[in-house]
Amino acid sequence: MGVRQTEEMVLNIGPQHPSTHGVLRLKVKTDGEIVTAVTPVIGYLHRCFEKHCENITYEQIIPYVDRCDYIASMNNDFGYVLAMEAMLEIEVPEKVQYIRIIMAEMNRIASHLLALGTFGLDVGAFTPFLYMFRDRERILDLFELTCGARLLYNYMWIGGLSHDIPPGFVEKTYEFLDYFLPQLDEYNNLLTFNKIFIERTADVGILTPDLAINYGVTGPNLRGSGVKWDLRKDESYSIYDRFDFAIPVGTGIKGSVGDSWDRYWVRAEEMRESVKIIRQALDQMPRDGDVREAVPRRIRPPKGAIYSRSETPRGELGFYIISDGKPKPTRVKMRSPAFTALSVLSEISQGWMISDVLAILGSLDIVLGEIDR
Amino acid sequence: MIHYFKNIFETVTTLLQGLGITFVHLLRIRKNNVTLQYPEERWPQPQRNIGFEHNSYNVIRSRLEVDIEDCTGCMQCVRACPVDCIKIDTVKVPKDTDIGTTSNDTKKRLLVTRFDIDMSECCFCNLCTYPCPEDCIYMTGGPNSKKHPIDYEYSTYDRSDLIFRFANVTEEQIERITKPAQPGEQTNNG
Repeated sequence: MGVRQTEEMVLNIGPQHPSTHGVLRLKVKTDGEIVTAVTPVIGYLHRCFEKHCENITYEQIIPYVDRCDYIASMNNDFGYVLAMEAMLEIEVPEKVQYIRIIMAEMNRIASHLLALGTFGLDVGAFTPFLYMFRDRERILDLFELTCGARLLYNYMWIGGLSHDIPPGFVEKTYEFLDYFLPQLDEYNNLLTFNKIFIERTADVGILTPDLAINYGVTGPNLRGSGVKWDLRKDESYSIYDRFDFAIPVGTGIKGSVGDSWDRYWVRAEEMRESVKIIRQALDQMPRDGDVREAVPRRIRPPKGAIYSRSETPRGELGFYIISDGKPKPTRVKMRSPAFTALSVLSEISQGWMISDVLAILGSLDIVLGEIDR
Repeated sequence: MIHYFKNIFETVTTLLQGLGITFVHLLRIRKNNVTLQYPEERWPQPQRNIGFEHNSYNVIRSRLEVDIEDCTGCMQCVRACPVDCIKIDTVKVPKDTDIGTTSNDTKKRLLVTRFDIDMSECCFCNLCTYPCPEDCIYMTGGPNSKKHPIDYEYSTYDRSDLIFRFANVTEEQIERITKPAQPGEQTNNG
């Protein structure tokens, strides 16, 4: 019998598919069960963010920035206000800096919990998802206590915060941290070291360091490939240099460096580091002070441009803002970390099974709101 | 061969480990229960009466409410809104006509004939509530529960029901107030 020739088939995954984390369509070319090419089709969530910014004032952009990466709004706000403060040369009060760090790191934990939970869901583990959402809920409760919103906070303003933390917030956050650390071990027992999960993810979708750097992949995806690059440490912005924390990188414990399990593991360990940062920030935070002290009454930056970047849970978020001295920006360009993570998908998922492609996509942790903008 | 059995052993042990965690949760179901039967039970509203100088900070996102008696028609909230969901029309009143003062004792100079908020367009950013000089636009509940009880369950069958109209002057009143008084006729202010 000769070699049996099979026809290639194009399989559409999405746009409405629970494993695509939003509205993403994947055109998957398959040879039998083996994937030969993946073409992501994006734009279903396009809201003209960059063009829209040209028609609204600088303060009004913040709610829109919230809606880009809606899983980690605080971090997005942080990146934007850092860029604007550098442009306006505003010195932010000490207390504001600490509250911002606390909020950003809490949001990082919430974002990673969602990323890991849905990753487990993609490969068929339903229970960890519920456990992680239960704990994410506690963080969202703390956010609701602070600014009234559970998502899309509009809490960080240019030069300050919309208002102070409520009384009892610090104690409640300590309480949460004490509760949360043992939970991390529970997740590890439940999902991370589960043999079935390891079989599904270890050695799957290996992203080599060279490939990651060439594609501009940042954040936990890059660190999962063993590259120690974290803007919080390497280009320390705000007051991150005051805290003692480690940067976890993938070492290929269960497979080889840069596989899906490594990317998962980096996120799981990063939550532990975030807990450390929050604890230090809560200890050091000055208890009194006005958080709206440095908020300018009218925001009118001088002519010029600025590029500023910060580390969100998904990687390096950059804002390039051009001003011509008017209350509205001339151009706002956003460098989205999830976009580069998605662009590498077609490269690393070739040769894997269809179900592995979904596992790889889950390990990249993309948010379509940020990709399409 | 050893590898094969080792694999099975690891799978079974880690599975049992996971099942053990869920089993513990099953045993302590009352303690670990985190869900509520929503329409019957509700989460309590967080206590958020905060703020450094004034305690009316608007830290809740529910529904926008306007105390129209206090509104001076300054359009600050319209300018702050990023999605243009607030629509205000005003008419000037003649100089000697008095249409009352706000609760902050500011004399009203404009008659607000239309104050519509489309809550289906609102993005709940709260930006409109900060610049208001009279504190008359706010989200219901939370620190404002004295002014208005919380109202976050306002789903409707029709989209147009989400447009909340706050202006309460009738056509006749507008005409009576804005029309300059005829000589010889008795003026009726109010």
